[in-house]
Amino acid sequence: MTKHTQAYVAALSPTQRRIAQLGVVFVPIVTQITDILRVGSLAFYYAFKKPIRWREVLQQSFFIGNRSLAFVMIVLGFLGMILIFQSGFQAKRIVGDLQGMGALYLQLLFREFAPTVTALMLATRVGTGIAAEIGSMVVTEQVDALRMNNAEPIQYLVVPRLLASIVMTFVLSCVALCVAFGTGMFVANTVFEVNVATFYNTSLLEWGDLIIFSLKALAYGITIPIIASQAGLAAFGGSEGVGTATTMAVVNASLAVTILDFVLSGVGYIFFFS
Amino acid sequence: MIRIAEVYKYRGHECVINGVNLVIPQGTQVGLIGPGGAGKSLLMKICAGLVRPDSGSVLIDGTEVVGIGDVEMTSVRSKIGMLFQNYALFDFMTVEENIGFPLRQLGGRTEEEIRDEVNRLLLAVDLPNTQKLFPNELSGGMKKRVTFARAVIANPPILFYDDPTAGLDPVTSGKIFALLEERRARGGTTSIVVSHDILGMRDICDSFVLMDHGRIVFSGTREQIEASTRPFVGQFWRGEADD
Amino acid sequence: MQALSPSKLLSRFGAAFMAIALDVGGMAVLLYQILRCLVPPRLDGMETWRNLYKVGVKSAPIVVVTAMLTGAIMVIQSGALVAQFDAFGLLGWGAAFATLREVGPIMIGLMFSGRVGANNTAELGTMKVTDQIDALRALAIDPITYLLVPRFIAIVLMMFLLTIVGDLTALVGGAYTGQVLLGVSPSLFASSVIEYITLEDLFNGLFKAFTFGIAIAVVSSHYGMTTSGGAVGVGRSVNNSVVASAVLIFVLDYFITSILH
Repeated sequence: MTKHTQAYVAALSPTQRRIAQLGVVFVPIVTQITDILRVGSLAFYYAFKKPIRWREVLQQSFFIGNRSLAFVMIVLGFLGMILIFQSGFQAKRIVGDLQGMGALYLQLLFREFAPTVTALMLATRVGTGIAAEIGSMVVTEQVDALRMNNAEPIQYLVVPRLLASIVMTFVLSCVALCVAFGTGMFVANTVFEVNVATFYNTSLLEWGDLIIFSLKALAYGITIPIIASQAGLAAFGGSEGVGTATTMAVVNASLAVTILDFVLSGVGYIFFFS
Repeated sequence: MIRIAEVYKYRGHECVINGVNLVIPQGTQVGLIGPGGAGKSLLMKICAGLVRPDSGSVLIDGTEVVGIGDVEMTSVRSKIGMLFQNYALFDFMTVEENIGFPLRQLGGRTEEEIRDEVNRLLLAVDLPNTQKLFPNELSGGMKKRVTFARAVIANPPILFYDDPTAGLDPVTSGKIFALLEERRARGGTTSIVVSHDILGMRDICDSFVLMDHGRIVFSGTREQIEASTRPFVGQFWRGEADD
Repeated sequence: MQALSPSKLLSRFGAAFMAIALDVGGMAVLLYQILRCLVPPRLDGMETWRNLYKVGVKSAPIVVVTAMLTGAIMVIQSGALVAQFDAFGLLGWGAAFATLREVGPIMIGLMFSGRVGANNTAELGTMKVTDQIDALRALAIDPITYLLVPRFIAIVLMMFLLTIVGDLTALVGGAYTGQVLLGVSPSLFASSVIEYITLEDLFNGLFKAFTFGIAIAVVSSHYGMTTSGGAVGVGRSVNNSVVASAVLIFVLDYFITSILH
C-alpha cells in the first residue's frame, strides 16, 4: 500500500474499512483473471491470423516435448506403481479378486490420471519455463523492442508456444498413459502375480473415456501456456520480477488445471458415465 | 515534430509524470536530464506509445499517439527508432538478425539488401566480423553499439535514446556520443537523449530539458542553462551536491 | 539437431550425470548443515516467525481450494463404480483412504512446492544474484542460520499442518459432492469413514507430508543458493526447483508406500 492509500483507509469508518478489505483480496484476483482472459483472447485472435511463425512453432514443440519427456515419464512411472500398489492391497482385502483391476485402472488412467497429472507436471515444467523466458524478455525491455518494431508480442511470442503446447500436451499425455500403464502392469505382475494378459483388459473402455481424455488434454494444453505467458508479460522490476512471475505461473497454472479437471470430470460424469 | 501537452501519469496514488508540456521542433536533438526517478525514461516511453499516460496528449508528426489502436500505431512506430537502456537485444537472435530485425519487419527488401545494410552499419559502429555472435558473447559497450545500429538501420526520422551510456567507461561513452553526434550532423532527425552524463551531452544537444519529480523544472539551450541563477539548475548542471 | 557420434553422446550422458550428482550432493550437504544448526537450535527467532506467517497463512487459501476440488474429483471419478456395485456405504471409506494416504499429501505437496518452494527459490536466488548473500557473509552473519534454517522450519512445519487442514477439506468436498452427485448422505459418508479408517492411515499420510516438506525445503533452498546469471538465472533456478521437487515427491511416495506395507 502506498502512503496515500494508508491515509485513505485510516479515514474510513470500521464498517467501510471491512468492506474495503474485501477489495484488497478480490481486486487483484479479478484483475489477474481479466488479464489472463485478455491474453487468451488475443492469442486466439492471432492464432487464426497470418503470419504464423511455423519454424518457431516447431522449435517450441521440440523444447516442450524434449524438455519434459523424461520428467513426465519418471513421474507417471512412479505414479503407476504407487496406484497399483495401494489399490492392489485394498482390493485383495475387500474384494479378494484382482482380475478386474487392470480394466478399471486403464479406465481411470484415461479419464483422470494420465491427462491431469501430465498437465500438473507441464504446469511446473513448461509453465515456469515460459514465464521465466517471457518475464526476462520483459524486464530487459526486449518485449518493448518488439513492440517498437511492430511485432505484437502476443503474436510473436505467445502464439507459437500456444500451438506447440496444444500438440505436445496431447502427445505427452499419450506417452504418460502408456508409461503409467506399463509400470502398473509391472507391479501387478511382480507383487500381486496378476498375469500380463489378464491385466491388459480394454473391456471397460468406452468412447466417452477417449473423448474426456482428449478434451482434458486439449483444455490443459490451451490453458497452461496462456496463464504462463500472462505471468511473464506482467513481470516488472529486475530478477525479483522474474522470480515472482515464475511463482505466479506455476501456482495459477496448477490451480487452473485442478479447476478444469473438476469441471470436465463433472461434465464427463453427467454426459457419459452416469 | 513532437508535441507533448498536459501529460499526467500515476503509479498507485503517486504522480510520476506531473503535467508535462514540451515541444520538440523538427530536426533538433533534445537532452532530457535530471536526477534518478525524475520520470525521464517514463516520459520517453510515453512518447513511443509503450506506456499509456492517464491523461494528456502526445502528437508525433501531427498524429495523436495517446489512446490509438495498435494498427494506427504501426505507421507511427515505423517512423521511430529507439535505443533501450537495458540493451533489449533479442538474446535468441544473432547480432546480424538483431540489427536487421526492423528492416525485416518493415518488409519490401530482399535478404541480400538487408545483409548489405547490416554489414555497412556494423562497419560504421566499428564492430566488423561480429555478425554470427549472440548478444551474450558481447561486452556492454559492444551491445550498446549493436542496439544503436538496430535503432538507426531503418533511417527513422525520430530517434529516442534511453540512457545510451549507462554503465559504460568514459572512453566507450565517448564513442557512443560520437555516433549520436554523427547522426545529428546529418540533419533531419528529431531526437531525445535521456542521460545522466551531462559532460558528454553538452556538445551534442541543441537544447536541454531538466526534470525533477515528474515535472519540467527548466528548459533551454546550453547558454541559457549556464546563465540560470536557480540553484537547483546550476547544481545539477555542474554536478554539485546540494546542501 | 546435428547427428551425434557415440563418443559425443557418451560425454553428454557423463555431463548430465555429473550435473545431477553435483545437485544431489549439494542438497545432501545442505540438509546436513541445516540439521546441525537445529541441535542445539541456532536460528534467528524473528526471521522464523516471519517465515511461519508467510509460508503458512499465505498458502492456506490455495491449499484449501485445491483440496476441496480434489476431494470432489475423487468422488466424481469413483461415482460410476459406486453406483454400479451399489456400494454407497463404501464411498466414504474409499475417498478417505485415498485422500489420507496418497492424494492429500501428493496434491498438497505439489501445490506447496509451486506456491512456497518456487517462491523460496526466487527469493534466495534474487538475493544471490544481487550479492545480498555475500553482503550477509561480509557482516559475519551465517546465511544458513539466518536465512535457511528459519525457512526450513517454516516449510516442514507448515506442510505438515496444512496437510491436516487439506485432508479435512478434501473430505468435506468429497462428502458434499457425494450428496449432490450420488445422493449419499453426509452421515453415511462420515460413518463409513469412522468405521473403516484407522489412525494408521492418517499417520501414514502425515509421515509422507513430513518427508515431502523436508524435500521441498532442501530442494528449493539448494537451487536458490546456487543461482547465477541475473534475471534469466533466477527463472532457470525456479524451473529446476519445482521440477526436482515434483520428481522427489513421487519417488519418495513410492518408496514410503512400498516400505510401510
